[in-house]
Amino acid sequence: MKVHTDPLVDDYLRRLDAAASTLPADQRDELVSEIRDHLEEALRQTPAGDQAAVRNELERLGSPEEIAAAAADPAPSQPAGAASQINGFAIASVLVAVLWFAGLGAVLALVFGYRARRQIKDSADGQPGSGLATAGIILGWIGIAIVVTVVILISLHPNKSH
Amino acid sequence: MEPGRLRNPVSQLRKGTLEYCVLALLQDGQRYGFELVRTLSETDGLLVSEGTIYPLLSRLRRDELVSTSWQESEAGPPRRYYQLTAAGKRALADFSEEWARFRDAVDALVTPQRRAGR
Repeated sequence: MKVHTDPLVDDYLRRLDAAASTLPADQRDELVSEIRDHLEEALRQTPAGDQAAVRNELERLGSPEEIAAAAADPAPSQPAGAASQINGFAIASVLVAVLWFAGLGAVLALVFGYRARRQIKDSADGQPGSGLATAGIILGWIGIAIVVTVVILISLHPNKSH
Repeated sequence: MEPGRLRNPVSQLRKGTLEYCVLALLQDGQRYGFELVRTLSETDGLLVSEGTIYPLLSRLRRDELVSTSWQESEAGPPRRYYQLTAAGKRALADFSEEWARFRDAVDALVTPQRRAGR
């Protein structure tokens, strides 16, 4: 049968066209024509007026709204868009390490740095920020080394402050 | 979303892997849209609405993972054939490798008899 003569198909394609109205015009035209070709192919052996066959084919396609939604979806291949952002703990680690070099900042840099590393390791798609986390950890240890050195020096020369 | 429950975990998985199923169907040569779509929809467990595969095909073409060409058919109007590009082959190879690792990891965790042996 010729699908462009079938009222059910006509109605379906009109709904699809309307549902896809947010797409760029060329993508929408392509989508509607692909679906029309699909139905043409699916119903080629079907005698005209076989309403059940037409309904079955339309059902297999899914609703026009569902198809339009799939077309409007920007990137189903990357559902975890947020995961590609740099790890927050890694940034925090470097920030506290730099802004608050020795003392408590160094401890925080280590806590954040190791936490960032663990999160990055757990993220399946390799979240960026592991370099930053390492930098934070190194700065943190340097900070702690400095604090320890200063404490030792002060304790070795207890009278120097007098 | 209900607390403590993922929203449709398997449907998210299907959605994420479908484009690679399309690429995989093309690895033995070109196919036309209807043939591709019907094969996918008749694959048990994929549960795809046929119509939603066309936007995916169009996206794969825009991303240059597949290329298309119109060819005459022996019966009826010309058909649009899809085939893998070099980038598509690479993407499929990368995915296949990742997928095998992922599948084994999940299997090892969710299959009870394997856990008993650890």
